[in-house]
Amino acid sequence: MSLLSLTILVLAPLIAAIIIGGPWFPNHEVAIRRFAKGYAGFLFIYSLFFLVFFNPTQSGYQFLESFNWIQPIGIKFSLGLDGLSLILVILTTFLVLLACIASKFNITKKHKLYYSLIFILTSAILGVFASKDLFLFFLFWELELIPMYLLIAIWGSGRKEYSAIKFVLYTFLGSIFMLASILAVYFYHYNQTGVLTFDLGILAAPKAYTYPLTFEILAFLGFFIAFAVKLPVVPFHTWLPDAHVDAPTPISMLLAGILLKMGGYGLIRMNLQILPEAIKVLAPILVVLGVINIIYAALIALVQEDLKKLVAYSSISHMGIVLLGLGALNIAGVSGAVFQMIAHGVISAGLFMIVGVIYLRTHTRIISELGGLGYVAPRIFYFSMIIALASLGLPLLIGFAAETLTFYGAFISRSFAGIQVLTIIAAIGVILTAAYLLWMLQRVFFGTMFEKWKSVHDITPHEIVILLSLVLVITVFGLFPRGLTNIFIPTINSIISNILA
Amino acid sequence: MDLLLDIRYALLPEAIISLLIIACTVLTFTLPNKKQNIIYIVSSLGALLALISFSYMPFFAEINALWNNFTSNTFTILFRILILIGTIITIQMSKKYVSGYGNSIGEFYTLILIAALGAMLLAGASDLIMLFVALETLSLSCFALSGYTKLDKLSNEAALKYLVIGAASSAVLLYGFSFIYGITGETNFVTISNYLSGYNANAVLIIGFLLVLGGLGYKLAAVPFHTWAPDVYQGAPIPVAAFLSVVSKIAGFAVIIRTLTIFLGIIPIWSLSIAVIAILTMTIGNLIAINQSNIKRLMAYSSIAQAGYILVGLAIATQAGISSMIFYLIAYLFTNFGTWTAIEIHINHTGKDSIEAFNGLAFKQPVLAAGLTICLLSLAGIPITAGFFAKFYLFQAVALAGFQYTWLLIIALINTAIAVYYYLKIVKAMFLRPTQELSQEPVISPSKTLNIVLGFTVTAVILIGVLASPFISLSELSAIKIDLSSALSFIQ
Repeated sequence: MSLLSLTILVLAPLIAAIIIGGPWFPNHEVAIRRFAKGYAGFLFIYSLFFLVFFNPTQSGYQFLESFNWIQPIGIKFSLGLDGLSLILVILTTFLVLLACIASKFNITKKHKLYYSLIFILTSAILGVFASKDLFLFFLFWELELIPMYLLIAIWGSGRKEYSAIKFVLYTFLGSIFMLASILAVYFYHYNQTGVLTFDLGILAAPKAYTYPLTFEILAFLGFFIAFAVKLPVVPFHTWLPDAHVDAPTPISMLLAGILLKMGGYGLIRMNLQILPEAIKVLAPILVVLGVINIIYAALIALVQEDLKKLVAYSSISHMGIVLLGLGALNIAGVSGAVFQMIAHGVISAGLFMIVGVIYLRTHTRIISELGGLGYVAPRIFYFSMIIALASLGLPLLIGFAAETLTFYGAFISRSFAGIQVLTIIAAIGVILTAAYLLWMLQRVFFGTMFEKWKSVHDITPHEIVILLSLVLVITVFGLFPRGLTNIFIPTINSIISNILA
Repeated sequence: MDLLLDIRYALLPEAIISLLIIACTVLTFTLPNKKQNIIYIVSSLGALLALISFSYMPFFAEINALWNNFTSNTFTILFRILILIGTIITIQMSKKYVSGYGNSIGEFYTLILIAALGAMLLAGASDLIMLFVALETLSLSCFALSGYTKLDKLSNEAALKYLVIGAASSAVLLYGFSFIYGITGETNFVTISNYLSGYNANAVLIIGFLLVLGGLGYKLAAVPFHTWAPDVYQGAPIPVAAFLSVVSKIAGFAVIIRTLTIFLGIIPIWSLSIAVIAILTMTIGNLIAINQSNIKRLMAYSSIAQAGYILVGLAIATQAGISSMIFYLIAYLFTNFGTWTAIEIHINHTGKDSIEAFNGLAFKQPVLAAGLTICLLSLAGIPITAGFFAKFYLFQAVALAGFQYTWLLIIALINTAIAVYYYLKIVKAMFLRPTQELSQEPVISPSKTLNIVLGFTVTAVILIGVLASPFISLSELSAIKIDLSSALSFIQ
C-alpha cells in the first residue's frame, strides 16, 4: 500500500470519528472543533494529492486497490477513481471542511457526537464515490443513513424528527430496489459466465453476453428508483424540502452539496454504464422527468415564503438539468450533467450558507419578514448576489458553464425525436430560476427595512472564509471550465462510446 | 455399536452436559442457600468444557451414533456449538437475575442445562422418536424456566400459555409423525428418505408434511404458530426470553432443515408452503412490531420477523440458501443476545420495560446506548454489522436461486424497510428524547458480568460484519451436509 491510498482516504474519517467519539477525547467544545477542522483540512489536502497524481488522459479506474474480502461470494474490498468519481471525492472533502467550519455558530450542543457523525458520514460518502465493487457501493450507501438521520434529528429545527425519519425511509425504500437490481445483475453474470463477482470494472465493461431487454429495463428501474429518490426526481422528492429545511445549516450544505450527487453519480455509474441498452429506450423518460423537475420545482420555488424552502426547491429544479443532460446521451450532455453536479454542489452549499448566515442574525427565514438587509450588511449581499447569479447561470460563473454545456448537449442530441422541443421548454424553466432568485434577493436585501434589523452586523471572518472559498471555486471554474471538464471528459467519452457502440 | 465409542466420537459434549446436570442437581440439594452461587461457576465451567470438547471430536466425519438415532456431522456440530455458546451466554446473563431468588438459584442453571441438552440432541436427532424426546426435553424445561419467578403474575401466565400451546403443537407434530410412520413404516430419517424416493405424493403424505411443518413452526414462533411468543417473552425472565428467542430457535431451525429436506422433491408444494410461512412470519412480525410500546414485546415480534427471513433460505432449497441460513443464525445469535443483554442492563437500572424508559439513554449511559444501537442496527440490517451481511448473503442466495424467486426476494426486501422503522424507534428514544430522571438509584445494582457479555456480543457483531469470510466458509462447510439433490431433479 502506497502512501497515497484510497483505503486510507475512505477509512481515515472513520478513525477520526472513533478518536472524537471515544471517552479519551476531552469533552471540550473548542478542542473538538479544532481537531475536526484540522482533520477535515487534512482530508481535503490529502484528496487533492489524488488530483495531482491523476492521469486525466486515461478513462479507466486509477489508484486501484483491491483486497479479497468475502471470497466465497465474490465480494472484494476494491476502490478506484476515475475522472467522474475523483471530482466528486474532492467536492466531498471540500464541502466537509467548509461544513466543519460552518458548524461553529450553528451547532451548540453535543459536539462530540456531532463531529463523530459528520466523519462517519464523510467515510460513507467517500466510500460510495470510490467503490469499485457493487457490494461495497451498497454498503457505503446504507452506512450514510444513520449518521444523517441523527444529524438532522438531533441538531435540526422544526419538525426535525419527522423529516429525519422521512429521509431514512425514502432512501431505504429506494435502496432495496437498488439491492434487487444489484443482485439481478450479479446473478445474470453468474448465470452466463459462472463467475461470482460484484466488480464494477467487469460488470460495467462491454460484456460477452447481452441482457434480455425486459430484464435490462427492470434492472434499470430498480437502480433508477434508488437514485431518483436521492437526486431527487419529482414524484420521489417530497423528503427533500423537509429534510433540508429542518437540518442545521452545515448539514443542509452537505445534503444539497454532496448527498444529492450520490444520486446523479449512481445514475451514471449504474444505469448508463452497466445497462447501456435500457438507457437508450428510457432516455425520453429521463428527459421528460428532468423537464418536469426543472419547471415544477421552479414554479414552487417562486411562491415560497421560507428562504430555505426556496433554496431546497431550487436544488430540485437544478437536479432536473442533470437528468436532462443524462438523457441526451452524448458527450456534451452527460459532461454537462456532471458539470452541473459539481456546480450545484458548490452553489447550493453557498446558498444554504447564506440562508444560515441570515438566520443567525435575524432568527427568521420568512422572506416577507426580512428586507433591506443589504443596507446594513452589504458584504453579505455581495456574496449572496454572486452565488445567486451563479445559480441562475450568469456567464463567467460556474452555473453558466454547466447549463450551457447541458443545453447544448441536449439540443444537438439525437437520443430521440422531440428532445429539442423539451430542451427549449427546459430552457424556459431556467428563466424561472432567474425570476425567483432575483426576486428573493430584492425582497431580502432591498426594499423597506424593518427597524429591528438596524443592528444586524455584517459578515464575520469565519463566514468570509467559507463564502470566499465557494465564490473562488464558482468564478475559477466559471472562467476556466476546461480545468474541470478535462478531468472527467475521457471517462464520459468511454461511457458514451459504450452506449452508442 | 459400542455406546462408549458413540459417546467418545459423537456425543462427547452432550455427555459432559449430562454429567453437569447431575452435578448441578446434587449441588442444588446439598448446598446452603448462601453458597448456591457455586452452581453458577460449576455450570459455566462445565458448559465451557463441553464447548472445548468439540475439538476432541472428529469434525469432518459423518457418524451415526446411538443406533442411528443421532447424527454427528459438520452441520449438527456447528449447530450444537452455536447452542452451547448461546447457553453459556444465557448462564452469564442469569447470574445477576437469579441472585435475588435465594433458594432456587441452582434449579435455574440446572433447567437451562437440561434445555441446552435437549436442544443439542434435537439438532442431531435423526429419528422421529429421538426428535420428539429431545424436543420435549427442551420444551418442558423451557416451560419451567418461563415460570421461574413464581410470584410474578406475568411469569405464571407466560408459563401456562407456553405450556398449553406447546402441548397442542406437540400433539400436532406427533400426529404428523403418525402419518409419515403410517406410510413408510419407519422412524429413521435415512430409511424414511429411502422409502420415499420415487414415491408419488398423496394427500396423506402432504397432510403429514404440513402437520410436521406446523408442529416445528411453533418452535420458531413462525406465523401462524407465533401467538405465544410476545406474552412469554414479556413474562419470562429476560435470560429465558433471550434463550427462547435464540437457542431454542437455532435448535428449531436445525431440526426443521433436517426433517423437511427429507420430503424435498416429493411434496409438490414444498417450497411454496415454506415460502408462504416465511412471508407471513416476516410480514406479520414486522407489521405488529411497529406499534409495540414494550421493549420485550417488540423484541418478540422482531424475532418472529427474523425467523421469517431465515425461512426464506430454506424455501429456495439450494445449498447457498442453507448456508445463508446458518450464517444468518450465527449473526442472529450474537446480535440478539447483545440486544437482550443491553435491555437487561437497562431494566436492572430503571425497572421499566417500556420503550419510553429508554429516553435520553445515549446521554446518560453512552456506552450502553452505543452497544444497543449497534445491535439494533444489526437486527435492522444496516452496515457495518453482522446483520447487514447476513441479510445481504441471504438475498444473494435467493437471487442465485433463479428468477422464479424474485417475488420472494422483493417481499423480503420490502420487509427489511418496514423493520428499519421500528428499530430506529428505539434509537430515536435513546438519542432524541430528553432524559427523564437525571440521577436515579438503580433498582438492581449494576453487574460486571452483564457488561462483559454486552462487550463480547457487540464485538462479535462487528467482527462478523467486517470479517465475514471465515464464517461463510464455515456455513458452507456445514450446509453441504444437507442433501438437496432431490430438489434439483424435482425442479427440472
